[in-house]
Amino acid sequence: MSDPVIALHAVKKNYQDVPILDIPRLELSKGIYWLQGENGAGKTTCMKVMAGLIPFKGEILLQGNVSSRQHPVQFRRLINYAEAEPLYPSFLTGRDLLELYLNTKGGDREEIQDISERMGVDIYVNNPVSSYSSGMLKKLSLLLAFTGTPALILLDEPLITIDTRALMVLYDLIRTYSAKGVSFCITSHQALDEEELTVTGTLKVAHKNITLS
Amino acid sequence: MRTTSAILSKIFTQRFYIQNTGFFLVLFYLLFGVVNGANLIAYHKALMLGFLGNYSFLLLVMLLWTSYALKCVGFILKTFQLQGYDFLFPTMGSVSKPARIRLWLLLHTAIYMPVLVYAGIALIVAVQYQYYVPAALIVVLNIANCVWPLRLYERKLAQPDILFFTGHLQRWLNRHFTKPPVLFFLYELFTNFPRRIVSTKLFSAGVLWLTFLIMERGEYFDLRGLQIGVMVSVMIHMQLMVHHRAFDDTYLHFMENLPIRLINHYARLIGVYVIMFLPEMVMLAVNGYTKTPIGGLITVFCTALSLLILFRCLLYFSKMNPEIHVRYTMLTSFIVLFMILGHYEWPAILLLQAASAIIFFKKYRSYEPYIPPES
Repeated sequence: MSDPVIALHAVKKNYQDVPILDIPRLELSKGIYWLQGENGAGKTTCMKVMAGLIPFKGEILLQGNVSSRQHPVQFRRLINYAEAEPLYPSFLTGRDLLELYLNTKGGDREEIQDISERMGVDIYVNNPVSSYSSGMLKKLSLLLAFTGTPALILLDEPLITIDTRALMVLYDLIRTYSAKGVSFCITSHQALDEEELTVTGTLKVAHKNITLS
Repeated sequence: MRTTSAILSKIFTQRFYIQNTGFFLVLFYLLFGVVNGANLIAYHKALMLGFLGNYSFLLLVMLLWTSYALKCVGFILKTFQLQGYDFLFPTMGSVSKPARIRLWLLLHTAIYMPVLVYAGIALIVAVQYQYYVPAALIVVLNIANCVWPLRLYERKLAQPDILFFTGHLQRWLNRHFTKPPVLFFLYELFTNFPRRIVSTKLFSAGVLWLTFLIMERGEYFDLRGLQIGVMVSVMIHMQLMVHHRAFDDTYLHFMENLPIRLINHYARLIGVYVIMFLPEMVMLAVNGYTKTPIGGLITVFCTALSLLILFRCLLYFSKMNPEIHVRYTMLTSFIVLFMILGHYEWPAILLLQAASAIIFFKKYRSYEPYIPPES
């Protein structure tokens, strides 16, 4: 069996003294996963931990050998994250952010330009994010999640606020990238369209743990 | 039924005067409180005759009036960007252009009124004493200060994304120039908190100016004296450091997912403070290059930057609130002060640098904002 795309070992996360996550072990092979859980169960915290955004106890391995602790830069190169409610400094333009992601994460600029056009981000990419609506901001953050050469993309509530055209583009992108070997972990309170996406497994966040079903 | 102008007056004019009560109190004190009531009219008449009879003085007064006009313009433009004031775009945009221009003029002159009143009285004095050219200049300037902002308000309405006055320049910059992360915090200060950065820099420049003045009056120059002045100047920047942490916590969280080496994050932090302290370094170099060799100036720059970086790094201790931060910065400053007085400047710089690097490399990845538990 090939190495799991992501493996969590004894991952614990507390906010001050309140335990939020306590995951003894979780290994996921390549695929598309739907991460479910009630409000406040810890889905976003789990995603932020996986993405290296917030500190935690334990260790996460990507592709079997890239450790969150020992290879922090390589780790971040392999995992991308799109927030549920992205927040960026008001004066930055979409292009500023896109350049920053492309300069650090790398990847094919033409491919990203193509996605930008398909999602309609190219129209407003030169404007400051302060002039964006929530849907425009969401599309920009989804676009940023496809930069670089990730092994795993975490999408936190990607279905909310974007228009139907962008949603179809997103489903198509997930299918295309998945076919290329990229895995996805998607949180959504709405059901993922079965006709558009074939989910490998469902992850449930409950009682501070994550279980795969 | 309330008229449109009355509603807009509540949004702009009343808010302006309420928000600037402190400013006007200080201004009124300076203009009317510093002289005996019986001599008030004679004092102001002499002041007016002073600037009417001297073109350099008149230029200074006109600059002050124009800077007040800029303050008014900034207030109105910023109101459009405030949360909850989006409705101004569709509502003002629906008013016919001539009516809208009249509304802009009414709102702008209402908040520019203190200058108009003072300039009006000065104009009467100018005509009485036959200062016709200064009178004409006052009229032209004040008409111009009431008219040119209207064009900016119209532009803001048509282009809501424009933050600065020069829309074309900003769009050109956005298309051709990518903001590097080292400038993010400075952009934040200049776009959203200009008063904070300007006041900090003015105070800091004031402290350095005073330091040079005291040393010049005493007819001596001691590098240690200059370094003490620089230390005070650094401490004036502390509110910006706390703001910097809050900015990073709120808006730059996304950068933690970027594959950036720790050393590059550290270099960015150093870069922010080097750029931020650049005006002071220029001031120190201009005033100090004849009094101390280049090595002395480098020592002063390194002391200042080392203190700035350490004080910022202390905030990577998540429980370090502004009160505790002041305590630690004061303690550090005292230690550094005695080291400077004992001519141990470079050991102090090295210690500060080592402490900053250790704190940063140990704390950066494990830092997260502290949320105090509810009591």
